[in-house]
Amino acid sequence: MRIFWVLLFSSSISTAEPVGDVRLAPGDFKGGYDKLDYETDSLSLPARTGIDADLIGNIKSEHLGLPSFSAYQQEAPDASAIALGRKLFFDRRLSRNKTMSCAMCHIPEQGFTSNELKRPIGVEGRNLKRNAPTLLNVVFNRRLFWDARESNLAQQVWSPLLAKNEMNNPSVGHVLEQLHSDEEYFDMFMNTFGETANIMNVGQALAQYQQSLIGGGSRFDQWYFGREKTALNTLEQKGFAVFMGKGACQSCHNIGDSYALFTDHQLHNTGVGFEESMRKDPKSITVQLAPGIQASVDQSLIRSVGEEKENDLGLYEVSLNPMDRWTYRTPSLRNIAVTAPYMHNGEFSSLDEVIQFYNSGGAPNELLSPLIRPLNLTNHEHLALKEFLKSLTSNNLPELVLDGFAAPVGDVL
Amino acid sequence: MFKVKSFLIKLAILPLLAFGIGASADETCMSPYMAKIVGQEDFVYVWTLGKEGLGDEQDKLVTIDVNPASPDYGQVVHTLSVGGRNEAHHSGFSDDRRFLWAGGLDTNKIFIFDVHSDPARPKLHKTVDDFVAKSGGVVGPHTFYALAGRMMITGLSNNKDHGGRTAMVEYSNQGNYIATHWHPTDQDLRGAEKTGKYADGYGYDVRVLPRRNAMFTSSFTGWTNFMMDFGTMLSDGEAMKRFGNTAVMWDLHTRKPKKVFDMPGAPLEIRCAWKPNNNYCFTSTALTSQIWLMYEDAGGEWQAQAVGDIGDPSKIPLPVDISITSDDNGLWVQTFMDGKTRYFDISDPFAPKQVYEKVIGSQVNMISQSWDGKRAYFTSSLLDNWDKKGDQDEQFFKAYTWDGEELNLEFAVDFKAEKLGSAHQMRFGAYGLYGLKRPYEVKSLVADAR
Repeated sequence: MRIFWVLLFSSSISTAEPVGDVRLAPGDFKGGYDKLDYETDSLSLPARTGIDADLIGNIKSEHLGLPSFSAYQQEAPDASAIALGRKLFFDRRLSRNKTMSCAMCHIPEQGFTSNELKRPIGVEGRNLKRNAPTLLNVVFNRRLFWDARESNLAQQVWSPLLAKNEMNNPSVGHVLEQLHSDEEYFDMFMNTFGETANIMNVGQALAQYQQSLIGGGSRFDQWYFGREKTALNTLEQKGFAVFMGKGACQSCHNIGDSYALFTDHQLHNTGVGFEESMRKDPKSITVQLAPGIQASVDQSLIRSVGEEKENDLGLYEVSLNPMDRWTYRTPSLRNIAVTAPYMHNGEFSSLDEVIQFYNSGGAPNELLSPLIRPLNLTNHEHLALKEFLKSLTSNNLPELVLDGFAAPVGDVL
Repeated sequence: MFKVKSFLIKLAILPLLAFGIGASADETCMSPYMAKIVGQEDFVYVWTLGKEGLGDEQDKLVTIDVNPASPDYGQVVHTLSVGGRNEAHHSGFSDDRRFLWAGGLDTNKIFIFDVHSDPARPKLHKTVDDFVAKSGGVVGPHTFYALAGRMMITGLSNNKDHGGRTAMVEYSNQGNYIATHWHPTDQDLRGAEKTGKYADGYGYDVRVLPRRNAMFTSSFTGWTNFMMDFGTMLSDGEAMKRFGNTAVMWDLHTRKPKKVFDMPGAPLEIRCAWKPNNNYCFTSTALTSQIWLMYEDAGGEWQAQAVGDIGDPSKIPLPVDISITSDDNGLWVQTFMDGKTRYFDISDPFAPKQVYEKVIGSQVNMISQSWDGKRAYFTSSLLDNWDKKGDQDEQFFKAYTWDGEELNLEFAVDFKAEKLGSAHQMRFGAYGLYGLKRPYEVKSLVADAR
């Protein structure tokens, strides 16, 4: 039954609506790839050029639907520090073998995440066990990482910089020495912080850029907070009603009176993690070989060329409290249409799959959140809810993406 | 302007000159612009991936003595570690065959080895480490294919999204960047005709037919997939959409794409026929297990068509390297998953028939055969994270003789036991190419290099 459903809806993957002049999706568009009539609609890489955005201005602007930036800011916004952080963010030389930057997993046109695989890979292709979260509006997250193990952006940056399966730097000192030896970075750090790169200001600079990636003003915001009655169509308004009512989505993805972050900043067990840890592997899986061509592949073949997936127990890995097994942070739903695949492990590649999962009551286990229960949504309600979720794309996202395009990619010169 | 004109004229003439003097080919699969070994090769250079936890863990060029007359026959006579694991993959000689260019798909470094000063002991001549920056963001230098005075390097990926859109990059023999030739996409077909439904902009291999002013490229996948654990990728529905489904026919002289062909399922190695009137090239699709033919029809138009299956495509045998015989009558095809080599009779290029198969090991990828077809060498590694796991991850170099009916194992080198790494691509070396005498007496075997 599950397989049938996936096949039925899989053509909707990555079919984000274009906003402005930017396609908010991978440049080698694969929508409908499971069908024989698939056609490419690939973009030219030399044409992927951008426009510098006024990121300080973006921070200072009023974003309909977002709370006050100053209430959440972790660093006092500074244009020089943002520029330095942006340069660091797109610099592939910051990894041990100079192949990975932050932006290789948090790709601007892919919602500052990776749409092209469930879980990103790091240096030398090493597996990561969780999906890359979007960095859009990351400043409003009270906790960071799916297991909420970090609270501060400036501190957080050192985790991927040093993780063997991410950027694999051997030490903090190694990274700093690389930056000291680069004349351009040396000058930028001196001009920005009045000192050379250190463990604090590298984090601060990267945090400055990341916290500038904010955006509200979605069509939902215009309708709900801006009182523009036509900003959402009838179906989307119906979806909002499902979101608030029968779907009970708002119980975790909160909407306030004056702003909406679509998160309760809490961690919950929806059963996705439990399923991944405890379910038995199917004997075979369906593998897409080419457009419209699939094959059933025996699990023994997969195992012969695959390493064991690292287990994932969620917050338990931080707290060691058995009650925290398979609980994960509630992500915001802002820009969800452009941040597939979904859930902490990228298990679902479309909003249809996500809605179906919750509609069926999640994956039962002894620690399942009591907030998760069968919803009994009709097909129309399912569709309406999906359309509503697609209205949450920030109106300034094209500017942020084009700014990402304009950022120089750091490679060995 | 003068330089540009001069260059174009040179390119137009050299292929004709090459054919005129008969020195048209290396051992069956390489560029027609270089000298070839028509007798007994002395060495096989194996571009080898460093393996974490094995030996010195670094990529290295391994030199194996393969001349039966040599006292070191069957032995590893030299290794040259280059530092780091770069995802060592393919290599190719410069047109003068004095240097071997070898690429790292991951780190994008290009190692240029001097193989002429002492063919038994290659030296690292130069390392190019700014390939990505110079090329405008091309990642994954794959094929190194000699043109006249130039090295054409195919890319697999890019530095923007690590996906499959990419370009070919042209370097001078001196190792200097010249130009980037992007593969056609829907947004910018660059003047090419999109003959079917696909124009993905992906790349993989390149081959040329100078007499027809034709160049051909195929398409694989980007960094994210070729670096990913194979089992993880097969289980990731989104990742499995990121494979190339095209081949492109280019104008060789102008480097402009002319036709984009649909070729579903990742067409990899391209092998062009040698005979003057055989205007066609073969390739095979890794995921859909088909042999494809790109050919010039009676009207002078280039076409592409699937001409046969490889094994049982539903079992995904994963055809990888292929090698055409110098008489255009045979095609060796390796299937990675079952470790087999398969020999196809391609005397009718539109109807290949498998006439022989043999299991080489638990996995097999590359083949290099001698010009006379009497010797064939095999190696095991596909990509570091795609190779089989545990005991199934055999890593070897195996030397066979082929009598037209049976492959006979002459010797093997266990790359794990020797603490070398994972054996990938092979290229041949010979003293005679450089006017050098072998350091031992040979009575019956003569190196005939021209």
